Amino acid sequence: MTRYLINRILRSICSVIVVVGIVMVMIYSALDRNLIFAADSNYTHVKSNAKEVYMMQQWEKYGYLDYVPYGDYLKELLRDDAITQETYNEAIKFANKPEQDSEVVAQYVAQFTEKYESEGYTVVRLNGKMRGNTKRYQDGGEPRLYAYKDIPVPMRLVNYFRDLVTVDNVNYVLDDIPDRGLEFTWYDPVYGGEKFSPAIIGTGTQYKYLVYFNDKFPYFHQNLVKINLGLSYSVRQGIDVFTTMTESQGSNVYSTVTYPSGAVQESADDLHTLSYASGSLESGTPVIKANFVDDYTNVSPIKAGMSRIGYSFTMGIIAVLLSYFLAIPLGIGMALRKEKLLDKLGTVYIVFITAVPSLAYIFLFKSLGGSLGLPTTFDMENPTWLMYVLPVISLALPSIANLMKWLRRYMIDQMNSDYVKFARSGGLSERQIFTKHILKNAMIPIVHGIPSSVLLALTGAIITERVYVVPGVGNMLTRAITAYDNGVIVGMVLFYAVLTVTSIILGDVLISLVDPRISFTSKAR
Amino acid sequence: MSDKRVNLSDFNLSDDELFAPVNHDELESEKITAPRYSYWQSVFRVFFRKKINIILLSILAVLLLFTYVYPAVIGYDAAVDPYINLMDSTAKHLSPSAAMDKFGQNIHWILGSGSAGQSTFDAIWYGSSISVSLALVCALINMTVGVVVGAIWGFSRKVDIIMTEVYNVIANIPYILLISVIVLIMTASFWSMVFALTVTGWIAIAYFIRTQVVIIRDREYNLASRCLGTPITRIAAKNILPFMTSVIVTLAAAEIPSYISYEVFLSYLGMGLSEMSLGKLIEASQNAMQTPGWEIEFWSPVAVASIITVVLYVVGQNLGDASDPRTHM
Repeated sequence: MTRYLINRILRSICSVIVVVGIVMVMIYSALDRNLIFAADSNYTHVKSNAKEVYMMQQWEKYGYLDYVPYGDYLKELLRDDAITQETYNEAIKFANKPEQDSEVVAQYVAQFTEKYESEGYTVVRLNGKMRGNTKRYQDGGEPRLYAYKDIPVPMRLVNYFRDLVTVDNVNYVLDDIPDRGLEFTWYDPVYGGEKFSPAIIGTGTQYKYLVYFNDKFPYFHQNLVKINLGLSYSVRQGIDVFTTMTESQGSNVYSTVTYPSGAVQESADDLHTLSYASGSLESGTPVIKANFVDDYTNVSPIKAGMSRIGYSFTMGIIAVLLSYFLAIPLGIGMALRKEKLLDKLGTVYIVFITAVPSLAYIFLFKSLGGSLGLPTTFDMENPTWLMYVLPVISLALPSIANLMKWLRRYMIDQMNSDYVKFARSGGLSERQIFTKHILKNAMIPIVHGIPSSVLLALTGAIITERVYVVPGVGNMLTRAITAYDNGVIVGMVLFYAVLTVTSIILGDVLISLVDPRISFTSKAR
Repeated sequence: MSDKRVNLSDFNLSDDELFAPVNHDELESEKITAPRYSYWQSVFRVFFRKKINIILLSILAVLLLFTYVYPAVIGYDAAVDPYINLMDSTAKHLSPSAAMDKFGQNIHWILGSGSAGQSTFDAIWYGSSISVSLALVCALINMTVGVVVGAIWGFSRKVDIIMTEVYNVIANIPYILLISVIVLIMTASFWSMVFALTVTGWIAIAYFIRTQVVIIRDREYNLASRCLGTPITRIAAKNILPFMTSVIVTLAAAEIPSYISYEVFLSYLGMGLSEMSLGKLIEASQNAMQTPGWEIEFWSPVAVASIITVVLYVVGQNLGDASDPRTHM
């Protein structure tokens, strides 16, 4: 069993990697890369050479290519002490045309060209564009010199999976700081240092609080291991997809906060999220200087709402529970009273839900619910349980129909099978046949679907969330697609793929636990 | 059969006239006489035995008539007709009665007018011709490829190992992503949509067929057939395919409406066709839904889409039931 599972998991990991690879090929290679400028107002404003450079910068940001301007190359040389400040000042002034370059410039331009061309880069020099015959440049017409190289998909894939999980460590901070190390305390200083609350505090790490407890579910929190699904560029600039999914939303919650310096303030800052920002104390505002004693000043606020995943999962899991509670008795009832009223009504319902476009019945229930006075839009600021009612119903409707359909089918198949006839002829009561034989067998395929319905509740629902304006994860992928946010697309695809693969494996494990006849160790067939 | 006995002498005929010798024929004695059975005849006999099916089929016929014949009869031009009253501000968002007062009592205005003063009724049927065509073409392609690949997949164990991995990969690529990328690469035309919906759409059908084939292929009668030396292709075509006709019909019945639904879904997300299909109409009239008095603009395409899908689905399911030989007794 264990060997089989390990094999399955490895194969699943491979297929997840292939999926991410295919998606990368699709969005980075198959799609026209100029599309990212479709809704970009900056793009229409920049002109001439500056436009070329702007495009390069954007493409680098979106992960298409590696772009190195000549200036950056010289700065690097300066930092490595390969050239002096004077040489730098001299070499940076490249002229409008290559022929007009001074000797020093020509030398460094040649060096730059040689270095990057040998590494497979394309070196581009854009000559200065003048305004007519004057000595002034056109808008954005300054000369430009840069090198760029497309990032090949295999390399991007390797980099992506390499950076997927990062573990915070005491050598994270590059600055020279004293007392690197981890400190364990029973009394978390955030709570004034008197309340019993274990925490691990790091110095030299990215986050100050690596492990801590608070009053929010699941009470135990950590900043030690971070999952990076990819940075967003347009949906939420510079923020990781995983953070976007898991951080709480809504308005700030204020409370009395005791800062590291001892200052006490009404603030929404969540001191457990403190992370390192180099030189921030020195250059910070007076407020920062008054509150903090070190460079761990970067802090996120405590917010009232749940995270995107929180909202999606809350709704999803209620819908899943509701659909199992309703569909199992209904499906059984339909099978037991085959061709009777309940069965016919159930069939009408199943046909309606299966055939009618989901959009149609979601809107139908929205307008029905709205006329009953239920809230039809999600309001994070004034949360009530009522606002969950309609989204949950519209999520549960199709899964109820689906479960009912299959449970009825399996039950009827079992009822007609020979072992049931045998059991009946052997004198078992209908009740015994039903509970001990039919139901047990008919439930096995239903059990197989439980892990997937629970796990896939995490992915949210596209239409439901859109119609009821739920701030969940369901519309993140569609929003990313329409905004060409490649980082988010790849991140979401990985998230979906891992969930589906895991739920299939868990489903198989579950049925092998429920049904002793199913075994993965012996060879089937 | 009557029980009345006949006395031969009543006929007043000689024995020679009454009886003629019959030659013993080896060949004739091998023939087995049974009532003539035609599969498809039985399917339709069972199908039409239910009155509801006749009603549904006539509704379907009317729907298809409106979908395909009506736009042609009125000479609907998608480039002109939706904008014909664009300049007339009094023609927009009219209720059916107001529209009929304005334009006269004719069939065009029985569902009122839309945001550009166009006839909702005409737009719906033109849109439904696009949506239904899309669904039919996609279902045809996906079913054909899916059944053929699924049959091979189920039969060959080597293919099974490879295809299962391929399935794991393809099934994990979000459909929306694939479709939007293809639509972006190829423009949002009818045929690029067909391509987007069929490029991986067949694999789910193939997987379903594969499972069915795996179940049937090792049954005793196939084992016997193989022992007798029947080639695999013949087993597939003669032993297994007839067994699966009802499964395939049922599946196709569920597929066709599902593409209509999917088109509506994609249009709602802004990733649909460029033509004014049903989904596009629903998406375009979304705002009308929230405005009192304009709701009919939104609900009428929704209702037509739902009626078409439900009728197609039910007719297909019943045809699927009828094509199961076990119901032919």
